[in-house]
Amino acid sequence: MEERFKELAAQYCTIDAKDITNDMTFRDDLGFSSLDLMTFLGDLEDEFDTEFELGDDEQKLSNMRTVGDAIEFLKSYID
Amino acid sequence: MAEKYALTAAQNMHYQWIKSYKTQQVAGLSIAAAFKFDLDFEILKKCLMLEAERYGCLRLRFTKPDKNGEIQQYLAALDDEPEFADLSGGSMEDADRIMQSWAYITFDGDDIPMTEFKLVKLPDGFRGFFAHIDHRLIDSVGVAVMVGDVMQLYAYYAFGAEYPAELADFEKVLKSDLDKAANPRRLAKAKKLWDEDLDLNGEPLYSDIQGRSVLEEARKRHGDPDLRCADIERKQLFVAVKDYKLEAESARQVMDFCMQRQISPTNLLLLVLRTYLSMVNERQEDITVENFISRRSTTDEQTSGGSRTICFPCRTVILGDTTFLDAAKKIQNVQNRIYMNGGYDPELIRAEMKRRYNTPDDTTYVSCYLTYQPPLPLSGNPKLKQIPIRVKWFANGAATKKMYLTVSHLPDGQLNFSYHYQTVCLEEKDMEVLYYFMMRILFRGIEDPSRTLDEIMDMV
Repeated sequence: MEERFKELAAQYCTIDAKDITNDMTFRDDLGFSSLDLMTFLGDLEDEFDTEFELGDDEQKLSNMRTVGDAIEFLKSYID
Repeated sequence: MAEKYALTAAQNMHYQWIKSYKTQQVAGLSIAAAFKFDLDFEILKKCLMLEAERYGCLRLRFTKPDKNGEIQQYLAALDDEPEFADLSGGSMEDADRIMQSWAYITFDGDDIPMTEFKLVKLPDGFRGFFAHIDHRLIDSVGVAVMVGDVMQLYAYYAFGAEYPAELADFEKVLKSDLDKAANPRRLAKAKKLWDEDLDLNGEPLYSDIQGRSVLEEARKRHGDPDLRCADIERKQLFVAVKDYKLEAESARQVMDFCMQRQISPTNLLLLVLRTYLSMVNERQEDITVENFISRRSTTDEQTSGGSRTICFPCRTVILGDTTFLDAAKKIQNVQNRIYMNGGYDPELIRAEMKRRYNTPDDTTYVSCYLTYQPPLPLSGNPKLKQIPIRVKWFANGAATKKMYLTVSHLPDGQLNFSYHYQTVCLEEKDMEVLYYFMMRILFRGIEDPSRTLDEIMDMV
C-alpha cells in the first residue's frame, strides 16, 4: 500500500517515489499546496476505493503534515 | 481521423457562458509578451509554430453543436503562420489600444482553429508576440507555461541554450480528466457535498458590492418580497478594467501572514471580499463569492496546458463575532472540501439550486468573482532574465460577471488587483471604494487576527 501511495504522491512532485520517505512533509519537502493535497486525497480515494469522511476529520485532513501522517490516515480507512 | 472527446467541466463552464451570452467573445483570452531587445522575428515565428506542435491544447477545435447543443473537441493541425504587425510607430498606449481591439475579435464557426498568434513590434524597443486564444483551450496558468516554453525555445535557437524539456501530453491528461469525472463514486460524493450544504444552509442569499438595494430592486421587479437572488445582465456586457497596485512591502506582509498562519492567499482574499460584502449588505452573514481554481496538481497537469480553471461558489455563513483567523480557517475548510471534489461540474450545482428553489432564469446569488494568479514562470535562461519584459493581458471586453477581481503578483513584488466590472451597472468609483475597503479590512485583519469581523467592520 505504501509503495502505491508514494507512486501516486510522486505524480505531484519532482521527487521519485523511491526517494519519498515517511518523514517528508507535503508542504515543504514535496511542495504540495493545499489544493494539491486535497486533490491527492481524492486520488487516494479512487485508488483504494474508500471514502474519507469529512466533518470531524476535516481538520485532520487539512493538518496532515507528513507522508507518514497520511499513510496512517489512509490505513485507518482501509484496514 | 482524430479522436473526439466530450468537454471537461472547466471547458463546459466557458461553453455554457458562450451559449448564455450568445457570443464567443466571453471566452476570449489574450496576452502580449514582449522583450526589450533585437529579437529575431523569423526565429520567434518558428518557435510559435513549434509550440503549437508541442502544446497540444493550442490545436483544439470544436465540432458543430448536435441536436442537444452539445459539442465535442478534437486535435488538428495549426498551420497558419503568425502575421507580423508593426505597432512601433506610436506610443505604447496606442499599441495597447490596437492589441485591445484584437482581443475583442471572436472565433466564429465550427471546426476552426481557436488559436491565433501575431508577431508584434512595439514601441520603446519591445518585440514579441500577441496570442489570442479561446478560453476552452487554455487558462492563465497554461498561458504562463506557454510563454515560458516559447522563450526557452527561442533561447535554444538564438543562444544555443539547452532544448526545453518536453511538455506533458495534453490528450493523455484530457482522457484522464474525463475518466475521473465519470467515476460514479466521485460524482455521488461531490453531489452529496453540495446537497448537504444546501440542506444545512438553505437557499443562498444574494449580496452585492453596491449594497442591499440591488436585491431589493430585484424583489420588486419579480414581485417577490422573499426573492434571494438578483438579475444577471445578459445584454450590455461591456467591461472596463481598473488596476490597483499594492506596494511590495505591504504585499510581503500579506504573504508573510499567509505563510505564518498557513492560510492560502486565495482564502485570505475570499475572506476580505466576503467581509466587504457583509459590511455593505447590512452585516449579512450568508455570503457567496465565486472562486476560480486552477486544477493543476500533478506534474503532468502543470505542463499539459488546457483549460483547467474552474469556478465554484464559496459559500460561508460566518457570524460577526467570529475572529478574523477563525473566519479564514472556516473558509479554508470550505475550500478544502471543494478542492477535494474539484472535478465536479458546477453546472450541476446551479441545476440543483434551480430544482430546489425554483430560481428564476437569468438570476444569480453571486455578484463577485475572484481569481488569484501565481507569478508567470518565465524562462530561467540567464540571457533572457536580464532583458526587460513586458507582459500584458487584454480583457475580452465582454463580462459574464458583474465584478471579477484578479489578484496577481508583479515582477517587482507588488500585488496587482485588477477589477473587471460591467460598466452598465458599475463605475470606476465603485472599484475605488471596493479596493480601499478591501485593503482596510485586509490590514486590520492581519495586524491582529484575533479581532472579530464585527470589530474590523466597525474600524474601517
